Amino acid sequence: MLAVLAKYRAVFVVGLQSSLVYRWNFAVRAAFSLVHLAFVFILWGAAFAGQTQVGGFDLRQTLTYFIVMLVLQFFISAMNEDYEVSEDIRNGLINQFLLKPVNYYLYRLTVFVSARLVSGALALLPVLLALPLLAPYLTLPPLSWNYAAAVPALVMSALIQFTIAYCFGLLTFWFLEIQSFIILSLAVETVLGGQVFPLDLLPRWLYDFSAYLPYYYQMYFPVALLTGRITDEAFILRGLGIQLFWVIALLGVAQLLWHRGLRRHTAVGG
Amino acid sequence: MSSPRMSLAHYTRLWLASARYSLVRTMMFRADFIMWSLVELFWMGVNLLLIAVVYRHTDSIAGWGPWEMTVIVGTSMLVQRLLMGFFWTNLFEMGRNVRSGHFDFFMAQPGNPLFMISTRKIDLDGFLNAPLALAVVAYAVHRLGLQPSGWQMAAYALFVGCGLAIHYATLLLIISLVFWLQSAKGIEGGYFGVNEFSRLPREALRGVAAVIFVYALPVIVVTNVPARTLLHGVELVPTLWLVGAAALWLTIAITVFNRGIRRYASASS
Repeated sequence: MLAVLAKYRAVFVVGLQSSLVYRWNFAVRAAFSLVHLAFVFILWGAAFAGQTQVGGFDLRQTLTYFIVMLVLQFFISAMNEDYEVSEDIRNGLINQFLLKPVNYYLYRLTVFVSARLVSGALALLPVLLALPLLAPYLTLPPLSWNYAAAVPALVMSALIQFTIAYCFGLLTFWFLEIQSFIILSLAVETVLGGQVFPLDLLPRWLYDFSAYLPYYYQMYFPVALLTGRITDEAFILRGLGIQLFWVIALLGVAQLLWHRGLRRHTAVGG
Repeated sequence: MSSPRMSLAHYTRLWLASARYSLVRTMMFRADFIMWSLVELFWMGVNLLLIAVVYRHTDSIAGWGPWEMTVIVGTSMLVQRLLMGFFWTNLFEMGRNVRSGHFDFFMAQPGNPLFMISTRKIDLDGFLNAPLALAVVAYAVHRLGLQPSGWQMAAYALFVGCGLAIHYATLLLIISLVFWLQSAKGIEGGYFGVNEFSRLPREALRGVAAVIFVYALPVIVVTNVPARTLLHGVELVPTLWLVGAAALWLTIAITVFNRGIRRYASASS
């Protein structure tokens, strides 16, 4: 067990070092996210003009939702993982994992965790710099059960995001070009993950339906827990249960794609 | 030396040859074409969905009703589609070509280098959704009960053209920096981030945001002036502003590009 942990610890350290090479890319990306945040502030500020609440929440609560969403994206979102898996398959780099006692999913997951630690830490820098401007709009709910529930929700969100990206990367076994699949999926994930607007602003029937989809648990669910948009304990427990189901289901899909894909894979070269 | 008319005919023939090449290439990868068209369609849907959701909870954004806002968003999508269809791939490939030395290929071609790099490819999936964006604008105008005159529609077309020129110039300016910086990585994300503001009405921006996105960068003017033309008729000052901004940004971008070419160290021996 310790030997297995040591193996992935080494991968984690190498992943950290590789991510630090791209520190400026992450920092620039985080800085550009603040431009998006400015757009969100202006749009929602104008939408709230003349009214104190939209969908049961005031302007500060709504803007807090988007600020928390922005920061968490850098800690738990999949960024280039689908392309990295795709490149490994296209270039034949996965061949080495077929010969070594390394599980490719765990290898990629470990690299993902190290990369998100770096990108998350770097994203905090521009946010901290902008904090004097953001602080008047931040309002977090009082200490409650929500925060405890948010911890497993965040872990499972990261697993869902990574596994979906991993599955899209594995499509390279069947398709030469997967970029269009990824960007098409990104549009769906962006909307149904609550990144464009809080999902609770949707019509009730659509919101209830979205709560059964994996996208709901990618970003919206943990952010809604942390910002107090979801408070009902029974609903939170049910949400954690559905989220766990999606983690297990997606892991199953990933395994299936990996084994089926390997049957199609041809390793060449010495 | 060829006459201007001969030159125009020459460049038209070159452009048509590129268009034919792009069409043939697209038809060779039909599934890819369909997927990318769907991608563009979905992202247009995302923009419209945001407007629909916001207006479920409010009647007005900075004095603009839902259908007026749809005219702005539709215009933004139309300019974006045209940019994607005509120039996006060409300009991003220029950045790569300058770094790799393949830019030599364009310098040796029988025509102006800027024309050759800007028109080499046409992305048909971008165009496919342009009529759809126009249909969104037309439907919103219909829902507002407006019947724009021929003059208004001609002015709208001209202003969309000016908007396209501004976007083209902005991209060219940014990509031309590779002549000095060797890398234009991350620009794509920044461009989309700034372009989000083109979906906002001018009245929503105040203070520093207004200075940046209304006056310093012509992001708002690109969509607001055409939209206001359909809604309220042609207005002199905004018209001069948009046409002037297009001329100014094109001049700056072409100047920077030409300066960059002088710095370009060919890859050939």
